Amino acid sequence: MDLTWSEQDLAFRDEVRTFLDEKLTPDLRQAGRLMTSVYADHEASMAWQAILHERGWAAPAWPVEHGGCDWTLTQHYIFSRECALAGTPSLSPMGISMVAHAIIAFGTPDQKDYFLPRILTREVFFCQGYSEPESGSDLASLSMAAVRDGDDLVCTGSKIWTTHAAEANWIFALVRTDRTGRKQQGITFLLIDMRSPGIEIRPLVMTSGEEVQTQIFFDSVRVPVSNVIGVIDDGWTVAKYLLEFERGGGAAAPALQVMTERIAAEAGDLLDNPGFAAKLADVRIRTEVLEILEYRVLTTVTEGGNPGTASSMLKVLSTELSQAITELAMEAAGPARRVYQPHATRPGGPVADYQPPADGYVSGLPWQAVAPLRYFNDRAGSIYAGSNEIQRNILAKATLGL
Amino acid sequence: MDFRLTEEQELLRDGLGKFLAARYGLASSRAAAKTRPGWQPAIWRAFAEELGILAAPLPESAGGIGGGPVEVMVIAEELGRALVIEPYIDVVVVAGGLLRRSPSARAAAVLADLGEGDAIVALAAGEPADGDRWNVLSTNVVRDGGDWVITGTKTVVMAAPLATHLLITARTAGTPGETTGIALFLTEFDAAAPPAGVEVHTYRTIDDRQAADLVFTELRLPAEALIAEDAWPSLELARDQGAAAVCAEAVGAIRTVLADTVAYCKQRQQFGQPIGGFQVLQHRMVDMYLELEQAVAAAYLATLKLDAEPAVRARAVSAAKVTVGTAARFVGQNAVQLHGGMGMTEELAVGHYFKRLTALQYEFGSTDAHRARYAHLTRG
Repeated sequence: MDLTWSEQDLAFRDEVRTFLDEKLTPDLRQAGRLMTSVYADHEASMAWQAILHERGWAAPAWPVEHGGCDWTLTQHYIFSRECALAGTPSLSPMGISMVAHAIIAFGTPDQKDYFLPRILTREVFFCQGYSEPESGSDLASLSMAAVRDGDDLVCTGSKIWTTHAAEANWIFALVRTDRTGRKQQGITFLLIDMRSPGIEIRPLVMTSGEEVQTQIFFDSVRVPVSNVIGVIDDGWTVAKYLLEFERGGGAAAPALQVMTERIAAEAGDLLDNPGFAAKLADVRIRTEVLEILEYRVLTTVTEGGNPGTASSMLKVLSTELSQAITELAMEAAGPARRVYQPHATRPGGPVADYQPPADGYVSGLPWQAVAPLRYFNDRAGSIYAGSNEIQRNILAKATLGL
Repeated sequence: MDFRLTEEQELLRDGLGKFLAARYGLASSRAAAKTRPGWQPAIWRAFAEELGILAAPLPESAGGIGGGPVEVMVIAEELGRALVIEPYIDVVVVAGGLLRRSPSARAAAVLADLGEGDAIVALAAGEPADGDRWNVLSTNVVRDGGDWVITGTKTVVMAAPLATHLLITARTAGTPGETTGIALFLTEFDAAAPPAGVEVHTYRTIDDRQAADLVFTELRLPAEALIAEDAWPSLELARDQGAAAVCAEAVGAIRTVLADTVAYCKQRQQFGQPIGGFQVLQHRMVDMYLELEQAVAAAYLATLKLDAEPAVRARAVSAAKVTVGTAARFVGQNAVQLHGGMGMTEELAVGHYFKRLTALQYEFGSTDAHRARYAHLTRG
């Protein structure tokens, strides 16, 4: 039992720091610092992935034979922490952190050979097709049809809340191949080429004004059966495996720590206000404790295990803490929090119906311009990847046996 | 003890409610917010000519109906229910109140125009580093011959882009934080063609309203621009009147949001049943309802003590703003949560209401600022 870092760990930290100092350009730093949600500006995110890939660090959590890093648990954690501290733009999680794990665990050798290297080089950029308009929390009720016709599955239906669909050339989707059994049966995990005929994308304008999320319509889209991951009709097994990756096993605490430190650095006179100081102390304490919790779960993951229901716990704790921090940032931001000025930020997608001022004027400072957009977008944390109500149901049932 | 509205007040409420239901569409008003001029002048005109509400709080001598805090509460609640972005509270309640309490004949004339919809007056009081207090004021004014010369920066001046007049607070003496030496000036204004010495940066707010930052560099005003010499007591009252009206507006918005959320949860099916059937969501909606009822009571508390002596008034308004701010946050956040992803879009009303319920937590003093003021006033 030890929370301190060894000499080798410190040397690794310095190696990461040197790399970040050298490679993180002012534009990339700005794109990281002024993110309005968990999604960075797409171009910046892709540019950063290219730099990481060049160093072999784009997908450190993958097995070494597919391009991952032979790091200790502590090194993984140090790497995430240093990236967060330096303010790197986030990488899209859909390819590297999600579908890749499904391909690694359930894919055929051909699928691994085709997709994994291309995900790393950005030749393949994935989006996710899970939720449907009538299937959100009750994901297993999904109904997008995939009907067998020779060597193809013909897909018709709609997916919603797909992030960066317009930027993606592939989507991993859950489709309905059989309707006769329990709803969890008859689901298939399918990779669909977004350039296939019959796909239409409708952007959704969020309260932040951003168009990062979309609804996708599939009209008789033909997909080769060879694009199925795992077994036809048993996609739920793959999806459950992935959802646990989506929900936890990562390291949210370092980024949250950076957010609290920035508030502390920018709040000025507010720090002398006992009410504000108490709230800031509270979120910092929660962040420190979350860091240890994540550390424990990460141990399981890096030792080859699945985080299981611990991912539900981390998902609830980290998203609700993040929301509390964005509330506090709003309080710290002062009058400029009221001003809608996305041009002073680096959102994760286009902004609808907005004309920036001709002279580029910003009321207050850029971090103050970020505060309301981040606050609005962060409401998604308790909704996506299984709402926090669903996570609590999972914990009640699977952990407490209720 | 009587919480009933008079017959006239009921007529006022029903008339405005019907007007807004018939003429104020959420989609069209948001579309107007996002294009020039950023609001609907025709609606404002109708407020003046068809409904007479721009003159409602004005004395009969100024063409009004002599309405008091209860009339303002009734109007603000209806405006909140329909999510009206036109700046009624900023212009009619706050700026109008300041004009009404000024002994100046010019102020009286502009007030009469305001009541008829011909003048729109914006209050330039807030500053970038004022810590949410209008007395922490560094804009200063000096006498130069017969003129006043103003220098300083005002931020988030609500309604400035549509204003025909500005009310400007400036310090004749003292240091930021002192309540003496604060004067109030009235001047004509056009954001599109500002006078010499005024730099204007207009923008939309997060809740789809129009506002601006104003930089005064030796803005020269004539002697008669001064409409209140020792303006703090009137400014403090204006802020409390604004806060009380925002409480009522919030009540209207919260009512809509709760009704929408309950309706959505009855209709939205997951796991083979309406999600409103799940006890955890039922309890959440009951908690939202309990917040609403406390907000309603708090709005009454502020409204009914608005004419009391300053310390009593301030305590009631702060208690109300804290209660309503807390309710606005809880109800807004949970309404989004229970609507799921759809609650985060601009496609349903709830997202728009959420933005307003966020912004109003900071208007005329944030929840924390009012909590601190309440603590100070009740220390004994």
